[in-house]
Amino acid sequence: MENDELIRDFFSEMKKQDRHLEIPEFPEEKAKAKSFNWWIPIGIAASLVFGFLILGKNEPQVEPVPEVLIITLEQINGQELQFHIEETTEMDIWESPTASLLTEF
Amino acid sequence: MKRNELEHILKEYHRDAYLWARQCCGFDEDLAKDVLQICYLKILEGKARLQEIEKSKSWLFSVIRFTAIDELRKNNKNQPLLEEFDRQETYEELDSTDYQEIISQLPIRQREVILMVFYHQMTLEQCANILEVSIGTARTHYDRGKKKLRELILKNQTLEQNGK
Repeated sequence: MENDELIRDFFSEMKKQDRHLEIPEFPEEKAKAKSFNWWIPIGIAASLVFGFLILGKNEPQVEPVPEVLIITLEQINGQELQFHIEETTEMDIWESPTASLLTEF
Repeated sequence: MKRNELEHILKEYHRDAYLWARQCCGFDEDLAKDVLQICYLKILEGKARLQEIEKSKSWLFSVIRFTAIDELRKNNKNQPLLEEFDRQETYEELDSTDYQEIISQLPIRQREVILMVFYHQMTLEQCANILEVSIGTARTHYDRGKKKLRELILKNQTLEQNGK
């Protein structure tokens, strides 16, 4: 026990010396920084919605290019024949080229 | 275990944990701070898990000890040959108040057990858990360490008295 006393005194003095040591602060900030930040996904979603709203409104209207050319031969006053040319984007009236053969004279 | 509960335990033992990290790192303060930071990250990220809350201090000391061994190995500062063997006798006079240098004269296992028992007030059972050895082995390190430290203290006291 006397021997232990010598060692206990040694450590008691060592602890006194260690009281002057600078203990680093507990790293609270770093630990909190690891938690998930919900502002990031909310910000991304808001930016996307805003972007769609702005870009969606200003989308330019594209005029369709005329693709169909209708050429008809018309008889004026029962004698004179005249070509009539018309452009359209779609063929809403279509007549077979051989339809005239079905006409009864 | 929840993160805030773990943080509470770490805060409670923060001072003891730093002192133990410093002792495990050969009293290198910068390395001890790094080791402690790594340990806290390991714990808060769930890489080191506490099983029994009653053994939280032993568990924290164990995490610190293994992390310090890894960091010392990375820095090539470990002294594996000294683990089981006594240092060669040095007859140079040490300052009797240079406690760190005196304790550093002990072989590493003996030093760890003596520090845990006399400095951190731990039981031999806790020491055995931290060192992952049997209680008999821990007791052997304790007895040898005490004997060796007593010799060192007395030798330094005698040399100081003769020098005066």
